[in-house]
Amino acid sequence: MLVVVTVVFLLIHLIPGDPVAVILGPEANAQQIEDARRELGLDRPLHEQLLRFYARLLRGDLGRSYFLDRPVTQALWERAEPTLVLMTAALFVAVLIGVPTGIVAGAYQGSWWDRGLMTLALLGVCVPGFWLSLNFIYLFSVRLGWLPVAGYASVLQDPVAAARYMLLPAVSLGFNQSALIARIARSCMIEVLRQDYIRTARAKGLAERSVIFLHAFRNALVPVVTVIGITMAILIGGAVVTEIVFNIPGLGRLIISAILRRDYPVVQGVVLLTAAAYMLINLMVDVVYAYIDPRIRYA
Amino acid sequence: MRQRKTTWAAIIVAVVALCLISVLDATAQKKGGVLKVGNLGEPPTLDAHWTTATITEVLTNHLYEGLYALDARSQPIPMLAEAMPAVSKDGLTYTFKLRQGIKFHNGKEMTSADVVASLNRWGAQSTYGKGLYARVAEVRAVDKYAVQMQLKEKTATVLISLAIPNNFAAIYPKEVIDKFKPAEKATEWIGTGPFKLVEWKPDRHIKMVRFDDYQPRKEAASGYGGRKVVHINELLWMPVPDAATRVAQIETGELDFADDLDLNAYDRLKKTAGVQPIVAKPYYWLVAVFNKKEGLMTNQKLRQAWQAALDMEPIMKNVAGGHAELYRLDSSLAFVENAPWHTKIKGLPWNEHNRDKAKRLLREAGYKGEPIRFMTTQEYKWMYDFALLTKQQLEDAGFTIDLQVVDWATLVKRRNNHKEYDAFTTGMGNFYDPTHHIYLGPNWPGWTDDEDLNRMLAELAGEGDYKKRFALWEQVTRAFYDKVPVARYGDLFGLRASRAHVKGFDTTLMRPRFHNVWLDK
Repeated sequence: MLVVVTVVFLLIHLIPGDPVAVILGPEANAQQIEDARRELGLDRPLHEQLLRFYARLLRGDLGRSYFLDRPVTQALWERAEPTLVLMTAALFVAVLIGVPTGIVAGAYQGSWWDRGLMTLALLGVCVPGFWLSLNFIYLFSVRLGWLPVAGYASVLQDPVAAARYMLLPAVSLGFNQSALIARIARSCMIEVLRQDYIRTARAKGLAERSVIFLHAFRNALVPVVTVIGITMAILIGGAVVTEIVFNIPGLGRLIISAILRRDYPVVQGVVLLTAAAYMLINLMVDVVYAYIDPRIRYA
Repeated sequence: MRQRKTTWAAIIVAVVALCLISVLDATAQKKGGVLKVGNLGEPPTLDAHWTTATITEVLTNHLYEGLYALDARSQPIPMLAEAMPAVSKDGLTYTFKLRQGIKFHNGKEMTSADVVASLNRWGAQSTYGKGLYARVAEVRAVDKYAVQMQLKEKTATVLISLAIPNNFAAIYPKEVIDKFKPAEKATEWIGTGPFKLVEWKPDRHIKMVRFDDYQPRKEAASGYGGRKVVHINELLWMPVPDAATRVAQIETGELDFADDLDLNAYDRLKKTAGVQPIVAKPYYWLVAVFNKKEGLMTNQKLRQAWQAALDMEPIMKNVAGGHAELYRLDSSLAFVENAPWHTKIKGLPWNEHNRDKAKRLLREAGYKGEPIRFMTTQEYKWMYDFALLTKQQLEDAGFTIDLQVVDWATLVKRRNNHKEYDAFTTGMGNFYDPTHHIYLGPNWPGWTDDEDLNRMLAELAGEGDYKKRFALWEQVTRAFYDKVPVARYGDLFGLRASRAHVKGFDTTLMRPRFHNVWLDK
């Protein structure tokens, strides 16, 4: 975590750019810019700014945004809900499409089903998310008028509006990932179906459905869960583009605008939060392993 | 007898017609509704004294007002001041009478104490305020409704400085001023404007509602001033950073109004039923600013060669996406719309596209093909586009251009450091007084510190007579094209769009205003 914090601090401060010149506007003169830099402590040497940053961090203080006139923690908190909702919905879409597709393709390896679904999955991996988003908007919002182009409504306040706003972003973000999940699920299924105990199950005269769902499915799940974990991590990154295109006021949009304006404390805050989220996801994946496969025990 | 009857009939018809028109007019201007406006992002602040950022200008002019505002001819007219000021014979004392019974959004009445505090804060922090306050000795309250400004030396820029809408002399309640020193952004946004702020949720919306205690002026609306009536209930500003999304949202009707649209969307918007594309004039004149403190471009001949080589037509046409309605070729430093200062001087060395002249000037400059560092950004597509075409045209004339494409935050940082560049791209907005043209003075990136220009600008600042000032301004313009502190390109227009049910919007304004607008749904 310390490494992440330091690297991010140095990276964002070493790229050229000046938050103050952006805040004060194009017609501000050099003197005004210098005065404002002093006010924000940006005229201090870099190592001093870094030490101050560490000191604040130890007190749990992420600093204040130069632009938003509020503590970074508050800015993060305000934007956490849209990103969480988007990620959950996209993950749901990814799993809902990916897992059954992979299982079916794996179970009927070599069939037309397998070939058709895997071609679709290949397409899913290849199509860039933003391209899909823009086409979805053009088709479903501009041409057909079924769904709104962009925006956000809180799930807690208006669930129906929230669902309408979230459908296109969740599908365009989740579709890419579903392809990855489908491919992994398929190869795991194929591998599991070659195991001795499956042959035994079939030899006992069990129905194919029971063989697939009772004996093979759970055993094929462990690698799939790893991929879902990775997917969640990828979704954090993918959410940035989706949030911009669909105008969702989440963390992805926050970090992009913060980088463009060189709002250093906000960039550091978002990256720190993301790093923490990655760690949490990894931990969750490990816990789920143990549940799925009782042989896995952590001493 | 018959004649009298006809006269009576005519009078009756006229009265009935007038009544009908007024009734129709009243029903035409419907009250109520929410107007959703899509703009390009978050403002750095809603403190009007703090920044020259356009987005802050647009938003804050709905919340606050100054003592004066600009009319349709860019001339100052009274807003919170009752009338034009009384000026002493020596031209050093301005007395402003305030309108009485004007309420702030917090219910408090505006008095001279608020005005004195606000002007002093603006004078300490704002770009234009600092410019004026260099000549101000003191601003004091005469009585509850009168304020006096005492000048150190005579200047013709008092009224215009108080009236310009950018980084403007907004009047806040004194309590707010007491709380936030000039160098600190105010985070309580209370004004006297026709709209009142109710909620600012960053990245979601800025919600303003009609201020019911607002008292419109009696004079007809003109430019940014005159009578302001709010017909809508709520003005909702939605930050939509992606330009393609803004276009799609105005097409589907999710937005009632969208600002700052990509010029390439013009044709598509014209074809969309229920949408009116609006060409915003003026917007910017495009400009390459030269570093005159250090490096190659300190050489005047080299700057003149740059100017001589440019062919504006293909550059502007390309930047405007091929639409003739979206650009204009003009050499005046003030826009056509800024009527008092627009010059029509013939024979200026502008848009010469004279490659031979450029080559001769390059030889005279002793230029040996050293690379010229020209900074631009893709964040503003028009900047990148004109930089790219400039590079091509200049290289055809014998220049070597090192085009450095960086992001905007890097550009605005680097342009303040004279070691890092030779030229950079930007746009010049509307400057309402000759003394406000920042690129002519020594305090702005590029650092034009020219003896002749400084002298003429000082004369302009001190001179009170319009005719003499205009003659001086023409001299400045001639000197500009000789000294070439920056290279002026053509005027580029902006694109905005509204849904057909948005009525009463003044399309002639450079920046949008939503008072006097109603929704006919």
